[in-house]
Amino acid sequence: MHYQSHKIALNFYTAALLLFLVQVVVGIIAALQFMWPDFFILNFNTIRTLHINALVVWLLMGMMGATYYVIPEESETELWSIPLAHVQFWATVLTVSAVIIGYIVMGLNPQANIEILGTRLLNEGREYIEAPRWADILIVVSILLFLLNNFMTVLKTKKFTAVQGVLLGGLTFLALMYLPGMFYTKSMVLDQFWWWWVVHLWVEGSWELIAAALLAFMLHKLLKADVRVLAKWMYIEVGLVLFTGILGLGHHYYWIGTPRYWLWVGGVFSSLEPVPLLLMVWDAFRTTRETRGVVENKVGLHLTVAHAIFNFVGAGLWGVVHTLPQVNKWTHGTQITTAHGHLAFYGAYVLLIVAMIYVTLPSIRGVRQFRQSGGYQAFWWMTISMIFIVIPITGAGMVQTYLERLLGLDYVTVKASYNLWFWIFRALFGVGFLVGVLIMVKDFFTLGKKPVS
Amino acid sequence: MSTNAAKNLFIFGSLLCFAVLIILTIDTIGKLDERAPEITEEVNAGKKVWHKYDCIGCHTILGNGSYFAPDMTKTTDRKPKEYLKKFILDPRSIKPDSAMPKLGLSEDEAGKLIAFLEWISKVDTNDWPPQPILALSIAGRTAIAGQVLFQKYDCVACHQIRGIGGAAGPDLTYIGLKRPDIQWHIKHLRNPESVIPDSAMPRFDDLLEDELRDEQIEKELKELAEFLITLK
Repeated sequence: MHYQSHKIALNFYTAALLLFLVQVVVGIIAALQFMWPDFFILNFNTIRTLHINALVVWLLMGMMGATYYVIPEESETELWSIPLAHVQFWATVLTVSAVIIGYIVMGLNPQANIEILGTRLLNEGREYIEAPRWADILIVVSILLFLLNNFMTVLKTKKFTAVQGVLLGGLTFLALMYLPGMFYTKSMVLDQFWWWWVVHLWVEGSWELIAAALLAFMLHKLLKADVRVLAKWMYIEVGLVLFTGILGLGHHYYWIGTPRYWLWVGGVFSSLEPVPLLLMVWDAFRTTRETRGVVENKVGLHLTVAHAIFNFVGAGLWGVVHTLPQVNKWTHGTQITTAHGHLAFYGAYVLLIVAMIYVTLPSIRGVRQFRQSGGYQAFWWMTISMIFIVIPITGAGMVQTYLERLLGLDYVTVKASYNLWFWIFRALFGVGFLVGVLIMVKDFFTLGKKPVS
Repeated sequence: MSTNAAKNLFIFGSLLCFAVLIILTIDTIGKLDERAPEITEEVNAGKKVWHKYDCIGCHTILGNGSYFAPDMTKTTDRKPKEYLKKFILDPRSIKPDSAMPKLGLSEDEAGKLIAFLEWISKVDTNDWPPQPILALSIAGRTAIAGQVLFQKYDCVACHQIRGIGGAAGPDLTYIGLKRPDIQWHIKHLRNPESVIPDSAMPRFDDLLEDELRDEQIEKELKELAEFLITLK
């Protein structure tokens, strides 16, 4: 079935991929600044702000695109209001563009970041949620319009599916968890306390709900697997995600000035966080094995399974190695966290959105057969590069932990001399990653438009 | 397990976990005041400076943030305030190879920022960051008099010898070759700016925690200088 509403999904995918490209280009600049701090007209802090904000926003736009695809298909109807969805898309693009321009202006002239009504005009100076308060409010409005449109669509046909429930539940949870980042506190301890509510309950809570729902959707769409079995395992997965993830928040409260009992709470619950991610891997393999018949969209299935595997490796394994307080005491705030951040975001969310694009784009373009080699090429360029970005950063983190934290060498000495080769390798493979993204962007714009030879 | 049972377990299990989180949050917020000093207006103004210049875009604080530059949690414990102020205002005038650019902070803003950093250094962080194992093992070792003083006055916080120590001040590994004159060192330690214009190093007097008699000061300066010229 072909829906007009799917054009909206395409708009969001396009904006998401363009921002992905921006993220990777500024990522390479940041990598070079580890060796030459003055390499670029903007300082490292601005480049990094752009790198991580572009990431968060393009993933959110990817999730919105995916939702605008999934909800009409599951409800078997057009969106409640297609014009509203268009308005929401362009409002989001405008807000994001204004915020980006603000970051650049502030980077060129920090004095422009003036205080208005108790908040900063261009950059709030809080990691990941640097966007100023006026933009926060616009983002909340945009998400509310988005949720309204999708909920009304579901209510229109009253065809409630498990995937819709978890997907929209996760998105509502996401919107609510943006709020604890929207007020000022005098204490830096309290500031970081609420800040982790946003950051942790997004990436280790609501986003994983969205991932589990989209995984079930993709497995069903690709393999025509039994919806009831998929739904049951999805509920078990998301149940475990929140059982381990909500109190797993404690692993961010070991050393920020909060009481010592968080060492126990965080240590116990966060150690269990990989369990639901492993279950998702098993779910993907089980469904693939048990479903017979010809899979048309092989590259889509390949990416779906790869997402499940790298979600477990990046978010699960690379996280659990330093989650116990006994270990984290030495590794907290080192490059080990950077390595975990890169592999976790790539596996859990970049591959999720890439997989969703490859699973749904053929239907949006109205084709069944398409040339699949572009998708495979992009995947291998990106994945191999990401592995060889993460290995050097992990090495750098181990060297840093040993030399700085255990032996007492200075941070700057370790970074500038002992870890130099790691930075060189990281930057080289950053270029490899960019090649992968360029292949994918080209493939995205041409997929299904040429006849299959 | 049926799909419905799984669904109910998910919904009610999550609500229960969230309720526990809210209880722990209320308890934690109630305990924060006793784990940190009072927040004065100056400290709060310093926190705003921290946000204004997006310091977290390069540094970590309480171990969270960017990983491009040193963690700022216990900085004021180890670096003299005079040094920090000069460095913040114009990093490369103090340390030419510093990766930190001149951000344009005013003297007033730098002072407030340091007040904020002093506050954060007094927060009870459950003993994080831990003392490096090597630093602890050196502390009890016997050494020549000047070397003990070098440790006592925490010179190692800013200066390196054979790779160990801070990088805020010059490396002293070969200082004995570069400056073989004991009198130069005594003069420099007593008043750094008398031999190196604009030096950010604090005077020896400023490092003293207890009042020392003049003869004692003379003796310690001589012992330190004797140690420094052995570094070749």
